[in-house]
Amino acid sequence: MTIFLRAGGQLRAMLKPDIDHYTRKVEIDSEQTIGEILTAISLDPAYVALVYVDGKMKDLSFKPSEGQTITLQPPVSGG
Amino acid sequence: MANGLAGTTLRINLNTGEIKRYPTDEKLMREWFGGRGVIAKILYDEVPRDADPFGPENLFIMSAGVMSGCFIPSGAKIEFGSVSPLTNGHGDSNMGGHLGPALKFAGYDMVIMSGISPKPIYLFIDDDKVELRDASQYWGMGSLECEPKMKKDLGEDFEIATIGPAGENGIRFSCITHDFGRQAGRTGQGAVMGSKKLKAIAVRGTGGIKVHDLQKLTEYVTAIIKRTQTHPNMAPWQKYGTAFFIDWSNKNAVIPVRNFQTTYYENIEGISGEALVEKCLITHKACFGCWMNCGKYTKAVIPGKQAVYLEGPEYETGSLCGSNLGMTDINQVAYLNWLMDNVGMDTMSGGGVVAFAMECFQRGLITTEDLEGHTLNWGSVEDAEHFIDMVVHRRGIGEYFSGGSKRAAEKIGRGSEKFAMQVKGQEISGYDGRYAPGMLLSYMTCDIGAHHNRSWTITVDMAEGRDKIEGRAKVVVYLQHIRPLFDCWCICRLFWGELDIEPEEIVEALNHITGWNIDAAEAFKTSEKIWNLVRCHYLERNKANGRTFDYPPARSWEDKIPTGPSAGKGLSKEQIEAMLDEYYACRGWDNNGNPSREVLHDLKLDFAADNIEKLGLLGKPLPNGIPTVRGERYKPKAF
Repeated sequence: MTIFLRAGGQLRAMLKPDIDHYTRKVEIDSEQTIGEILTAISLDPAYVALVYVDGKMKDLSFKPSEGQTITLQPPVSGG
Repeated sequence: MANGLAGTTLRINLNTGEIKRYPTDEKLMREWFGGRGVIAKILYDEVPRDADPFGPENLFIMSAGVMSGCFIPSGAKIEFGSVSPLTNGHGDSNMGGHLGPALKFAGYDMVIMSGISPKPIYLFIDDDKVELRDASQYWGMGSLECEPKMKKDLGEDFEIATIGPAGENGIRFSCITHDFGRQAGRTGQGAVMGSKKLKAIAVRGTGGIKVHDLQKLTEYVTAIIKRTQTHPNMAPWQKYGTAFFIDWSNKNAVIPVRNFQTTYYENIEGISGEALVEKCLITHKACFGCWMNCGKYTKAVIPGKQAVYLEGPEYETGSLCGSNLGMTDINQVAYLNWLMDNVGMDTMSGGGVVAFAMECFQRGLITTEDLEGHTLNWGSVEDAEHFIDMVVHRRGIGEYFSGGSKRAAEKIGRGSEKFAMQVKGQEISGYDGRYAPGMLLSYMTCDIGAHHNRSWTITVDMAEGRDKIEGRAKVVVYLQHIRPLFDCWCICRLFWGELDIEPEEIVEALNHITGWNIDAAEAFKTSEKIWNLVRCHYLERNKANGRTFDYPPARSWEDKIPTGPSAGKGLSKEQIEAMLDEYYACRGWDNNGNPSREVLHDLKLDFAADNIEKLGLLGKPLPNGIPTVRGERYKPKAF
């Protein structure tokens, strides 16, 4: 099935977007977790501080559904 | 009037009440960039080296910078500076909100205050009306109570910044609070205001700011807005602020736990970003000209206490007053955030000082007898609250801690110096550096004492290998040049630095505003100049080789991380020395940590070289000369 990964900053270079400036389309197996998907596309999950789906924080064990957009937030220092 | 500037600088003698207006020195602003830069130059030139930070000769300066208040996103900041009572060197700290723009709209770029008022006063600015007004009715009030009271008295459209009882009582890590929840937290600027009997600053401004090329700026801003509105980072920021980072920090074992005793917290879920949103969040809050609204307006409910309302906690407070104090529920963290904001205490140093005291209690170095019959246990909000009250009012042993953890350790002794988690007297930020060598080096070499905001390298440490120390220095130096630029120009790094806007693009905005026509290389060089001036100032005030002051507390090399994913990890003293050696070489400083004449000449700081030479602190000539390029941007490894 198809999902979409979005990332900015340092993660964007690692993601290699192919849909727009921030988004990559990925074909996955239905039972794959986000952590497994990222590893499969050679994006080290350790660089992902936040997995954000439909307005909620998820962790790397989350299994996306068909057509979902997953936003990956890199770590950022505060003020 | 120069573009980007309001046009007038105020000089106020608080002894006499005299207020003088001068045209803002455009050349000075150009050469030193405003904000932190111009503050550094003025402090260096005008404050005697033996001046007491709490004395009349110390200056208290507020500078709104050339970009603040201009037609750009997040041009919201204002910078405060003085000789810090915490570190005895240059101190600066900034805040968002609306005060910086208001000051410029009123017609002022900078306010420089000297002397000490004979009675409590506040600075009142209403466009061209500038007065020192009696503040006796406000003196003693908490910051979060004082601001709404002053708005009611003066008008809701006044922007107000206040200190709380901590600043009034000279607690060396006191902050300045504005817009209910924005603080200039670090380096004790609130204490300097308190020493001058300056309770608050109230500003209303109705003017405008001329820019060099409004059409180009408008086109530029429109493009930036379009780009950043769809940036992937925007939605999570808007929901969680920086609190989302608590989980990641714990998972990667860099979060401070119980005074940095370890780096993985078993109770993280209770204090996470998700917990904040689920249990405490009321709504989101933004600064002037920003739609990121990373601020979180929240409510904290503690059994037996009245509910309190605050802005926060964000990451630093969430970690340093959360896991670092053994708190298990986000309401506890939020309550302590509110408490420290109201008394006017920097939550970062405050969390560090309370944590240090809790470990002293854990180890029997202070007892219930010292604490007026109270305990000071990990995870106890009541204990923390009572202790904070002792510190704010300098009662009993609270007096020891009123100067920060370093001074407290000097009084308590018995090995406590080892775990007073500070550098140069300022408490460390919310990341443990024992298995993040670049981060530790960042703390060690930060110009204002330990602070992450000058250089943050956690992801570099992860990418390059946390066991490896080589090569960190050049990245730290690069970050120490680029990140303070935001504090010079008074724009927010969270917007301009974290949404894929390149340094060259930020300089483009600066040029559209000012017409200075500079490039990124000049920007970095000016920032390096400021960095070196601040270093010279520190050496001159503290009269010893720079290396003397650049060490972290001994826990950093004596205590390996005991538990969690990083158990057993840590740096040796030899590795710490090697990192310093590499850093100084990268900077063109000698191995004593003193700038060489060659690098100071390259930065047009010959006057500073002459001054430190008189003290025997000029860096020896480097055998291979100074590096041509000092600092290198980190490029993430390709996958």
